[in-house]
Amino acid sequence: MKKPILQAKNLTKRYRQGEAWIEALKGFTYDFPPGVTAVVGPSGSGKTTLLNLLAGFDTPTEGEAYLAGNPLHALGEDERAGVRLLHAGFVFQSWNLLPTLTALENVAFPMLLKGVPAKARTERARALLAEVGLSHREDHFPRQLSGGEQQRVAIARALALDPLVLFADEPTGNLDSAAGKRVLELLLRQARGERRVVLVTHDPEVAARAERILRLKDGALIEIQERP
Amino acid sequence: METLLLIVRNLKARPVRSLLTLLGILVATASMVLFLSFGEGLRKALSAEMTKFGPQIRVVAEGTGTFGVPNPELGPEVLKTLKAHADELGIARLFPAAVMMKGSGFDPATTFLFYGLPEGITPKDLAPAAKVVAGRLDPHPDGAVVGKQKAEQSRLTLGKTLRLSRKIAIPIVGIVDAGSGFANSFIFVPMQAVQKALNTTNYSVILVYVKEGFAADEVAEKIEARVPGVDAQSTTEAVKYAERAIRIGDVIRFGISLIALIVGGLLVANTVMMSVYERIREFGVMRAIGARRGFIFRLVLFEALLLALSGGALGVGVGIAGSQVVNLYTTHAVGLALSAVTPRLVLFAMLVAVTLGLVAGVIPARVASRISVIEALGRV
Repeated sequence: MKKPILQAKNLTKRYRQGEAWIEALKGFTYDFPPGVTAVVGPSGSGKTTLLNLLAGFDTPTEGEAYLAGNPLHALGEDERAGVRLLHAGFVFQSWNLLPTLTALENVAFPMLLKGVPAKARTERARALLAEVGLSHREDHFPRQLSGGEQQRVAIARALALDPLVLFADEPTGNLDSAAGKRVLELLLRQARGERRVVLVTHDPEVAARAERILRLKDGALIEIQERP
Repeated sequence: METLLLIVRNLKARPVRSLLTLLGILVATASMVLFLSFGEGLRKALSAEMTKFGPQIRVVAEGTGTFGVPNPELGPEVLKTLKAHADELGIARLFPAAVMMKGSGFDPATTFLFYGLPEGITPKDLAPAAKVVAGRLDPHPDGAVVGKQKAEQSRLTLGKTLRLSRKIAIPIVGIVDAGSGFANSFIFVPMQAVQKALNTTNYSVILVYVKEGFAADEVAEKIEARVPGVDAQSTTEAVKYAERAIRIGDVIRFGISLIALIVGGLLVANTVMMSVYERIREFGVMRAIGARRGFIFRLVLFEALLLALSGGALGVGVGIAGSQVVNLYTTHAVGLALSAVTPRLVLFAMLVAVTLGLVAGVIPARVASRISVIEALGRV
């Protein structure tokens, strides 16, 4: 049987808030196909919780999550980190580059964690920065880059180990429309081969570019919209 | 290598704080090195002194401290007995001396130790390496030969007169470099002058050269058994005695410097902990990307270690410089370099610095490695 690359089965997350229990995600089940899948919904609908569970940042109260065939729900924190390193890339809303590293070093960082030799790391990081159009910014620190440029570096970093899954959480949320458009195009281009791109957004225009849209409301998956 | 780069970049990102922490450890380590260098210096000076001192045994009245100035309590019969049994005791040669101290005893410049030597005995018999600097070597019949150190310290020159008592005044006839710190602080005079000034015919000390093939310790024991009421102190015994005293001093000095070290350790812990709290998001990003706990633990621990090690190394450097300044003073004051930074002291200081870094870094490293990704990135 083929291993699930990104799959959720009855994924449920309950938080305790004071005396009450809040159900942030209710029985989410979905097997992500290759290509771009947008997850949309209003604030508090469970988008972030879903991404936390799919990426193994958090553990579900109930249900199962598989990433590159690994049962995240059954793994310890360090093992989940190992799975993320090898199979997932992340692009966050607020860029989250390491401030003391240059653009090139930021892109090379996941490869450092994996133990890729220095020369190979630098070569690949250079190629990735060229791909996102930032060859001329290699030695710049994040504070010297614009928001759009930082987000492009983040995309290059997410692609460093050629992941099977690319998670993007509101990747254009903090960018002006021109920079946002460029970042979005870049992300969409990454949906190649078996790779899954999960795009969490509340911007309908961004979601409209995905091949399918999952709509969440009050923690439940209420609609799956396949685009022609 | 890149991990080191990350650490250095982080420390450089907060230069004032890193520098202040470094200074804290520097001061702590330097003070420890300096404190402990006295013990090392004393050990070195002492063993050097002992090799420069000719006689291997000094016979003094019972109860005289190993390094004390002996009172003139040995009667002529003691000398007679020792001479009579010299062969059987293993004594090659021996001579008496009368010693008198004048002055405060606290300030070397105003303290004068008159060492009365009998006829036919010169400072060379006490310190074989002794050389004349000015005038002559032999204080007899009625002169004083001043140790080089003493001469410089108290500005004594040839022709000046030294007063042993109201009635006895002796002109300086020679300045001698005895080659040893102790003997260079003596003023050698004819023994009779000291005895007259002290109003006695007794001796303070009888100095003994041991026959070849005899052990000084055993000869000393035999002397004590043969002559009642005396202490026969061999140089090896004196070294052992001093070593014990120095070791006790070491423990006390280390105890004092430990306070500075603990403060230094707390500084490192505080700096690294603050840095961890400021970088929670950064660590969250690393964890999200796939860094394992061990990577972040090492990152933070090495940061503490690097701070402690560089502070320690600089501290050792400052300690060495401080030790040289101390030696400048003590060489001038007592003729001995009392402070020494030996390789084993450097090693010990660096070991203490590493331990400091490790202990100070463990808690912040643990905190950093256990940061939850969703809390760090505000994804709750």
